[in-house]
Amino acid sequence: MEYLTSNKVAIVDLGTSKIVHEKLDEALVREKIGGAGVTCELYEKYKEEDPIILGTGLFTGTLVPASALSMITAKNPSTGKVCHAPLTLYAGMEMKYSGFDYIVIKGKAPKPMYLWVHDGIADIHDAKEIWGKNVWDATDSIRDSMGDALIQVLGIGKAGESGSDFGQVCINYWASGDRWGFGKLFGRKKLKSVALRGMSLLEIADPEGFVQACKELLLAVKNGPFAGKQGIAELSAEMGEDIRKWLEPIIHRHLSCFNTPFPTNTFVFLDEDPKHLKESEKNEPGFLITDVYGLLGFNKMGLSAQDSSALLRECARAGIDAVAVAELNQKAGMTQLEEIKRSFGDVKGPLEHLSKEPFSPWAPPAPMFADFALSPDGSQTADWWKRRQAMAYIFGIHPIFALMSPELTEEKLLELATMGTGLEFTPETLEQVVGDILK
Amino acid sequence: MGIQIDLKKCVSCMACEMACGYHRDEGFALLSSCIMVTRGREKKDYSAVVLKEEENLVIARPEGVEVRKLGSTGKSDQDKGREDASAKPLLLREPCDLCSDRKDGPLCLQFCPVNAISLG
Repeated sequence: MEYLTSNKVAIVDLGTSKIVHEKLDEALVREKIGGAGVTCELYEKYKEEDPIILGTGLFTGTLVPASALSMITAKNPSTGKVCHAPLTLYAGMEMKYSGFDYIVIKGKAPKPMYLWVHDGIADIHDAKEIWGKNVWDATDSIRDSMGDALIQVLGIGKAGESGSDFGQVCINYWASGDRWGFGKLFGRKKLKSVALRGMSLLEIADPEGFVQACKELLLAVKNGPFAGKQGIAELSAEMGEDIRKWLEPIIHRHLSCFNTPFPTNTFVFLDEDPKHLKESEKNEPGFLITDVYGLLGFNKMGLSAQDSSALLRECARAGIDAVAVAELNQKAGMTQLEEIKRSFGDVKGPLEHLSKEPFSPWAPPAPMFADFALSPDGSQTADWWKRRQAMAYIFGIHPIFALMSPELTEEKLLELATMGTGLEFTPETLEQVVGDILK
Repeated sequence: MGIQIDLKKCVSCMACEMACGYHRDEGFALLSSCIMVTRGREKKDYSAVVLKEEENLVIARPEGVEVRKLGSTGKSDQDKGREDASAKPLLLREPCDLCSDRKDGPLCLQFCPVNAISLG
C-alpha cells in the first residue's frame, strides 16, 4: 500500500514482548477501505487473543476537513460486544505519523508495561515507574523521560488498573470518547499506556488534485450553519440543553481537534482568571472539556460549572468515565462535590443509556446544526446516525463533525479516497464495508 | 506583504502547519513546515503560532504578536527558560515563501478553517 499510509501494521504480543511488523496489505485496503473496516477485520483475525486494535482512518492526519480520528476497536469488557472508541484531539493524527496505520495488541503482560510507538518503531517498556500513577502524572512522566512534550499518550489511571467497569482510556490529560470501559481492558492486560509520536511522510497518489478537492470541501463546509459557533456549550445547546450562560464565566478558550473546523472542546480555567491571556504561572490552571455528556451529567446534579469542571478533572486524573460517575452517583442520591470525588472506586451498576451500537455515544445521536434532509418524525435518525458514524470511523473523520457537515458526502469521500490512494473505491465496496461493521 | 495571524481566532487545529508541510514536501508531513502551532504547554492551554520568515521569527501569542530578528532571542535572560521547546525545529527550516509558486497564494491561509490567517 503506497499512498495515504505508513504501510505498516504492528502485531504486539504483551505476553512474550514480541513485536512483528507487517506491511499493510493493499488487497485488504481495497476490500475494507480503512479505519473500522480494517480494525474489525484485524479483530476477527486475532479474536482468540482478546486483542485491542488501534487503527487510523483512511484520511486521518491529512488535509481532508476534520481528519482527526483514529480509534480503539476491542471487545467491551462488560457486554462482550466489539465496539469502537474515538481517539481525537491530536492523538489520532499522531498515530498516523508514528509509522503505523494499525497496531494489534494481544496477550497479557506479566507485569505492567507501556507501549512506545514512534517513527516506525514499536517498543514495549517496563511501566513500574508509572503503574499506580494517575493519568496526568503518568503522561508527564512519559513525556519527561522521552524529553518530548508532544508525545500523545493513551493512558489509564487507577480506575482501569483496578478493574472498574468504567475505566477509560484517556488522551494525555483529558477524557476521551471511550464509553466502553476499554480502560479496564488495558488494565487487565497490564498495559498502562500507549505513547505515540512520529514524523512520517504520507504520499498522495494525485497530490494537487487531492489537495484542491480538500480545499473546495473546506470552503463548502466552513461557512455551514455552525459558522460563528464554538465549543462544548454550543454543542449542548444544539442538543436542547442550554448551558451556555452557566459555563461562560469560566471559559478560557475553545480548541479544535486536528484540522477540525468546529472546535468541539472548551478549556475552562478553575484556578486562574479565565480572561488571563498570558501564560499562567500555575501549572494546572484548568481543564479541557472534551465530553459534553460528562459535563451535562454534573450540571443535572445541580453542581456549579466550576465544581462540575473540577469533577471532570478528577475523573480524567483517575481515568474514569465521567458520564458513569454522574449517572450512578445521582441514582445513589449523592450530589455533593466531596462525596462524589470519594466515590470513584465504588461506582458500580448498569447505565441507563448504554448504547447497543458499535460506535461510542460520545457523539450526539442526531444532526448537529445542519440539515441532512431526514424525515421530521425522527424515524430515520437512528439509522442515519449509525451510517454517518460508520463513514466517520472508516475514513477517519471526527465523529461529531460528521454530524454537522452534510457537505462531506459519501460520494465526495469516495472520490477523495480514489484520488488520494490511486485505488478505485466504489459505492458497492463502501456498502459492503458499512454492512460488515454494523453486522 | 506577509502572513498575519490573529491568535484570538485560532483554535490550534494545525491545519496551517499541515498545509505548509504539504507545500514543502508534496505529501502530508510536518517536518518542513515553516508555520507551527506550539503545543508544549498543554495543561496550561497556552499556545502560540510561530512563523519563520526570511529575516524574522513571528510569534503570535494570545497577548500579542512579537517579531524577532532571526538570531536574536528577543528575551531577557530570565525569560529564556520559558520558551516553548516544541517550536525549536522551526529555526532549521526554510522560511516562508508565501507559496509563491501557487496562483491562489499561501496554503496556510486557504486551509485555516476559522480565518485566523490573512495577508497584510
